[in-house]
Amino acid sequence: MQSDGGATCMEIEKLASEVNHASLEPRPRFAPLKAHEISDGQIQFRKINVPQHRYTPLKKAWMEIYTPIMDQMGIDIRMNPKARKVELKTRPDTPDASNLQKCADFVSAFMMGFEPKDAVALLRMDELYVDTFEIKDVKTLHGEHLSRAIGRLSGKGGKTRIAIENATKTRIVIADTKIHMLGSFANIKIARSSLCSLILGSPAGKASFSNGLLLLLLLLLRQTATIAALTNESLKGVKQSGTSLLCAT
Amino acid sequence: MAATTDSGGVAALHRLKSTDPPLYLSPSPDLSHSARLACQHIFASLRPFTPKSPFDRLLADGFDSEQIWQQIDLQSQPLISTLRCEVKFFEKHPEEISKLFLKVSVGKKEGKDGKSEELEGLELDGEKDEGFDELEDGDEGLEGSDDVDDEEEERENEEESDGGGVDGVEDRFLKIRELEEYLEDDEAREYGIKKKEKGDGKVAKESIKEDDDDEDEEDGEDDDGDEEGEEDDDELGVLGLVDGDDEEGGDARYEDFFGGKKKTGSQQKKTRHDSSAGDKQSGDMDFDDKKKENRSTHEKQLEKQRLKIEEMEKANMEVKTWTMQGEVTAAKRPKNSALEVDLDFEHNVRPAPVITEEVTASLEELIQKRILEGRFDDVFRAPTLPNKAPKERKELDENKSNKGLAEVYADEYAQKTGLVSSALTFSDEQKKEASVLFKKLCLKLDALSHFHFTPKPVIEDMTIQANVPALAMEEIAPLAVSDAAMLAPEEVFAGKGDVKEEAELTQAERKRRRANKKRKYKDEYHACDRSFDESSGLNQ
Repeated sequence: MQSDGGATCMEIEKLASEVNHASLEPRPRFAPLKAHEISDGQIQFRKINVPQHRYTPLKKAWMEIYTPIMDQMGIDIRMNPKARKVELKTRPDTPDASNLQKCADFVSAFMMGFEPKDAVALLRMDELYVDTFEIKDVKTLHGEHLSRAIGRLSGKGGKTRIAIENATKTRIVIADTKIHMLGSFANIKIARSSLCSLILGSPAGKASFSNGLLLLLLLLLRQTATIAALTNESLKGVKQSGTSLLCAT
Repeated sequence: MAATTDSGGVAALHRLKSTDPPLYLSPSPDLSHSARLACQHIFASLRPFTPKSPFDRLLADGFDSEQIWQQIDLQSQPLISTLRCEVKFFEKHPEEISKLFLKVSVGKKEGKDGKSEELEGLELDGEKDEGFDELEDGDEGLEGSDDVDDEEEERENEEESDGGGVDGVEDRFLKIRELEEYLEDDEAREYGIKKKEKGDGKVAKESIKEDDDDEDEEDGEDDDGDEEGEEDDDELGVLGLVDGDDEEGGDARYEDFFGGKKKTGSQQKKTRHDSSAGDKQSGDMDFDDKKKENRSTHEKQLEKQRLKIEEMEKANMEVKTWTMQGEVTAAKRPKNSALEVDLDFEHNVRPAPVITEEVTASLEELIQKRILEGRFDDVFRAPTLPNKAPKERKELDENKSNKGLAEVYADEYAQKTGLVSSALTFSDEQKKEASVLFKKLCLKLDALSHFHFTPKPVIEDMTIQANVPALAMEEIAPLAVSDAAMLAPEEVFAGKGDVKEEAELTQAERKRRRANKKRKYKDEYHACDRSFDESSGLNQ
């Protein structure tokens, strides 16, 4: 509307300028719209359900959740104990329109089971995602087989899961039959494939599992390098390694 | 006295004759006494004819039967030989008998003396007879002894007897020379040998006698003294044998011996019928034995050889025994015959050790020592040399990272952009260069200093070989000229012929493939594990 108006004004202005040069006004420069204004001054809400098993952890970790959201994101957050929901609300001085969504993701990530300090990465980085899949999506297992599969996934004392987390720079939460992964897209992919192989039965021994994992990582590295080279980002080290890799292949 | 003893002896003889045979079975002193008397009587009556006998009379009182018999034997043996000789002589010269009778009738005493002398001269030694069954008299049971024998003994006696012997031996009745001539004639008749001089004849006879001595199976009861005398003569005979027989035996042929068997046999029989015919006159055995008696040493040897040759030729004509037949299978030889033969073949295996107590003890000792030392001589698999560069294995960190995910990404970003100087890793450029140089230096130093230096295996970097004709790479020439490809066929495709796709495999083949893969993987895995364990074990 305004643009049209602007256009028309500009046309008129142009014509007018041709008529009288002296009485021109500078183009108006408008400040970017605030989040608030984008939504037409309406306050937006998000409500995230709190599962029972996360109730107490929420209570414990409330400040860790509360502080970044309130201070850095500029989103109001409150806990509705009666409804057992965490409510998020935008403020007029919320810096970015997407903050609310990010905060909502952050809180839901926490509800999935991730640690607050891991989930905070969602607030800080854009490209991190949370992916969920179930064991039954991969392979239909019942009873003991299922239990064993879950055991295989987590490993003794969680070491297999931790190994995957460290290798792929992701965070994994195994909630019974659901598996949640938090990380960048490619890393999640690798983690998912390794987890799937574990579900399908590959023993999490040293050689087979780690080899596969590392191979995938190497693949990922190459891919990222090529992508970086192609996109000409200013990642000097990666660029060099990427080109060398390209020459080698 | 003599008459009384004579009458007593005669009476004793009569008594003995009259007694019933069964009475002899039980010992009675009467019979014994009369027997002794009879013996003594006979002995005394024969005494005049045996001048050389050491006994004047038979010593029978208180003597053993064996002793009495020996005395009788001593007397009778020479007597018998003498008598035999005389009989033969009379055979040859029947006219002498009539002469003898005349002489006897004329001068009995003279004849008696002559006879005694003759007997003395003709004392013969060493009869090779079988056991005489004659009790008293030297009966003329002449066994199968030779003419030659007697004649030779005669010769010896001639030599033994002293000067007076020659005169004593010869008389009108017996002429030594005639005797010799007779012998030669006999031999000539038998063997077709020419008449020889006295010396050769004597030698031949002596040698023949020696052969007889050797060949005779029956050992006679020779006196020792007689044997010695004979042996001396025999030796002479042997020495002279060679010269003599070469001339003598030249004309002797097979036919002379065995030409027409029956004919010669009958001929032999005729000529020999006067000889001692004892118990061997029946059958062909008789003939053969007589022949054997008259042969020379050489002839006997020839005979032996001939027989042997015959045997061998016969054996040659026949089928050989299986042991001599070369390669023999089990079917061609009798059952279990290989067990009986002493087979000799090479054993290519060491024979099993005999386990004795010492062996066991030594083994146990060794085992105990080894256990104490801990030196078991285990066999370890030789580690394979690496032909690829060792992969840089990134160890998976199994500890929960303390950093939050955001921090991890932040750090990563920072490192990439180079805002934060990362910790000096080993893969620093200059350090890398330095380490490479140092490694080269170390290699050279090791080569100089180690006794058992082994250089590191060359690990080739991966290069890609294009399957393109060599010429194409090297020359600008039309491709059609050369076919030499860079890659060997094995490098193009390495594998056995029957290559099947995944879809074509049967279930069993799939399983087999998988099992092979697993086995291979397991070997690798366990090999490096074991080597790791060893090294750790050693360090401990």
